[in-house]
Amino acid sequence: MYIALIYAQPIQRWEMSSPTTRGEVLVEARRVVKAFPGVWEHLILDHIDFDVRAGEVHALLGENGAGKTVLANILSGFYTLSEGEIRVRGRPVKIKSPLDAIRYGIGMVHQEFTLVPSLTVAENIALSIRRRNIFSYPVREVATKVRELSKRYGLRVDPDMLISHMSLGEQQRVEILKVLFWEPNVLILDEPTSVLTLEEANELFKILRRMADEGKGVVFITHRIEEIMRVADRVTVLRLGKKVGTLNVAEASREQLLRMMIGEFEPFRAERKPPRIGEPVLEIRDLHVCGDDGREAVRGVSFTTHAGEIFGIAGVAGNGQRELVEAITGLRKAVRGRIIILGQDATNKSPREVAEMGVRHIPEERRRVGVAEAMCVAENMMLRDYNIAPFSKKGVLDLRLIGEHSKALIERFKILAPDIWNTEVRILSGGNIQRLILARELWRAPKLVIAFHPTYGLDLKAVSHTHDLFMQLRDKGSSILLVSEDLEEILTLSDRIGVMYDGRLVGVVESEKATTEVIGKMMTGM
Amino acid sequence: MKLGALAHRLIWTAVGLGLLALVSYELSQAGIRPIKLLETALLPMTPLVLAAVGECVNERAGVINIGIEGIFLITAVLGVFWAEVLGSGLLGILMGGLFGAIIGGILGVISTYGRADQIIAGMGLNVMSLGLVQYLLMAIWAFPGIHVFPRELVLPRIALPTPIGVLRISPMTIAAIIITLLTALLLYKTLLGLRIRAAGDKPEAVDVAGINVNRVRIFASVFAGFLAGLGGAFMPLAWFGGLVKEVSAGRGFIALAAVVFAGLNPILALAASFIFGFAEGLAFAIAVTPGVKEVIPFHFVQMTPYLVTVIILAIFVTSRRFPRALGKPYIRE
Repeated sequence: MYIALIYAQPIQRWEMSSPTTRGEVLVEARRVVKAFPGVWEHLILDHIDFDVRAGEVHALLGENGAGKTVLANILSGFYTLSEGEIRVRGRPVKIKSPLDAIRYGIGMVHQEFTLVPSLTVAENIALSIRRRNIFSYPVREVATKVRELSKRYGLRVDPDMLISHMSLGEQQRVEILKVLFWEPNVLILDEPTSVLTLEEANELFKILRRMADEGKGVVFITHRIEEIMRVADRVTVLRLGKKVGTLNVAEASREQLLRMMIGEFEPFRAERKPPRIGEPVLEIRDLHVCGDDGREAVRGVSFTTHAGEIFGIAGVAGNGQRELVEAITGLRKAVRGRIIILGQDATNKSPREVAEMGVRHIPEERRRVGVAEAMCVAENMMLRDYNIAPFSKKGVLDLRLIGEHSKALIERFKILAPDIWNTEVRILSGGNIQRLILARELWRAPKLVIAFHPTYGLDLKAVSHTHDLFMQLRDKGSSILLVSEDLEEILTLSDRIGVMYDGRLVGVVESEKATTEVIGKMMTGM
Repeated sequence: MKLGALAHRLIWTAVGLGLLALVSYELSQAGIRPIKLLETALLPMTPLVLAAVGECVNERAGVINIGIEGIFLITAVLGVFWAEVLGSGLLGILMGGLFGAIIGGILGVISTYGRADQIIAGMGLNVMSLGLVQYLLMAIWAFPGIHVFPRELVLPRIALPTPIGVLRISPMTIAAIIITLLTALLLYKTLLGLRIRAAGDKPEAVDVAGINVNRVRIFASVFAGFLAGLGGAFMPLAWFGGLVKEVSAGRGFIALAAVVFAGLNPILALAASFIFGFAEGLAFAIAVTPGVKEVIPFHFVQMTPYLVTVIILAIFVTSRRFPRALGKPYIRE
């Protein structure tokens, strides 16, 4: 059994040996179907045709869950296809493993990095060496080739550096080098810009261009239309597992791509009724809260929110917003000052006591704090109300009622989940997890909602639904404290806007008088 | 590994060895010769270091086997059985290694392809072995709880001249030290070692490279089982010269303690095993030395190796960085 491990068979390089000619179809997917039977009823990929040619950057565009990553994983051998055919340079092939894909000259840079943090760059790349005596240690040769490659493509990487000491941008360069090491004809990058700064992204685009000019085919997965306009030659749009079409970027407009990506759909317009301001709900008086490092992160904040209004808090991350929210929801102790909710003192009460006052919380880190990932959908749906009638009586859960309740909420909040009792929340997409949290926290129209980055990382449709929901709650008389870094979101939704800077509330502006400029100035402390 | 952490560990190991030297000096005043003490320390060290080095590799690959004690017990009995069948103590020890490798392989398969909870699998092995050993003693030799085999089967120790006298050392002990060094080389200076380390820290990376994570892990488990099996068969066949139903007396757990102390570094596992082995050798030496054995109660002395284990773990093991994917089966889709 270990003979194979010790003397791995040589890689057949016929697919890669001949140089590519510009425009030649390198990899082609024909009528590809992917189903996860029993988990998802609809097909993840529904008869997709896709091809990559030498010398082009071909973008794959789509919203979360459109199937872009699944298609890429099939091409790179990570998933097997359920039906259909893959052709490499005209020859039908079976790609059963990532190794097969490497043999056929297809390399993929994954969205989640697959680098070993405790190893160096060269060691990480040496890890993918197969046809060598496993008792040899060719790390030095690898380092030499890495230096050469990094010079050729302008990828700055030190081969002897530990991965754990590198920034995300550097790690991505290593990921690309790791794939380039095998000199593939086709390079697939899954959402490569999501972790990069603007500058790093620009550099990446230059590198992609250089690779295409060398005669490689580059597949570039993204949901940002702007990036496609900048770097891609062709674009294939996917929506919910179906192919919408393939266009030449030069002939496509942004609006057209947007429409193809999200379908017939009107984004939420801020048609807002004037607020019907009711009694004060949340009163903060001279609140002081310490941050994790023991220094005061909130330094004397006072404001009041009322029933029927959305109070937005804008600010650059790290100006005390997190500590403020945690103090209100009972997750962090206040050093000084008072928190009053509906006339009752809520200072330094436990999260449960705060919740019992009618406060609901949409936390910042939805996977870590918002849900219990290893528990099922129905259980997560009941994290707030499991201990009250009618869901539990004398300490015994009414599972039938909980099931019905969860199903109703799934329907109402349009959560895509295969099953409520057998699906761990872990496997849901970020958008669906957020919808689950919104459903759990907001189904009963709470008195006070504390929402922290409620739409962060969601696609346009989900953002719009969430905004819609907030407006409805406001009109029903809930008081909403909206904390967000997304200035547009704050300006669209809020009736009044407070700006936090350096732990202080530097001002409160009525929404009619608020412009990006005014708020932006306050956010930077001017 | 950060240099600081390694230096820290080396310093504490040096302090431990220094204390041992001090103790041996004191004991030499009481009439126990250091060379004798070293001899009695190297014997208990051997099974510990074999099992600990194997388990370092195993845990580097992401598989945790808390069933070393079980492997010790089972391979001790099977090693003696095969030694009697084949008429050779050395072959018996090697057969112990073979059966250890088989048990390791089974554990490896169920904790990779079987996706089992490795803690429960290891506990199961430990508990099962307790009963199995008594059963095997009855089934093979038809005598409950104890078996004495011919003296010829005991692997003889060889005489090694050293500056402090002639050291009678078991060839298995020398083999164990060589294995430790080779294992360190394997882990840090070969592609296979690279794969093993990556399999425990980030199995996705190994998979993406087109290498079967489960196979790397099973290899590590078989390797660890083989070494633990050698250690198990060593105890009756190169040390005690007899077999009782509790032959390993918790040494499998002490080996696990050595692994934790070493932070999965084979060389430090050797040092830790020596310290724990020394404690046991010391207990033995005290227990038989006239003038000392009357002062310190026998049962208290017998407790020493376990007490040393607890103390060392409590004091020195603060934060160890273990592989991220330790104990977690790797599932791709």
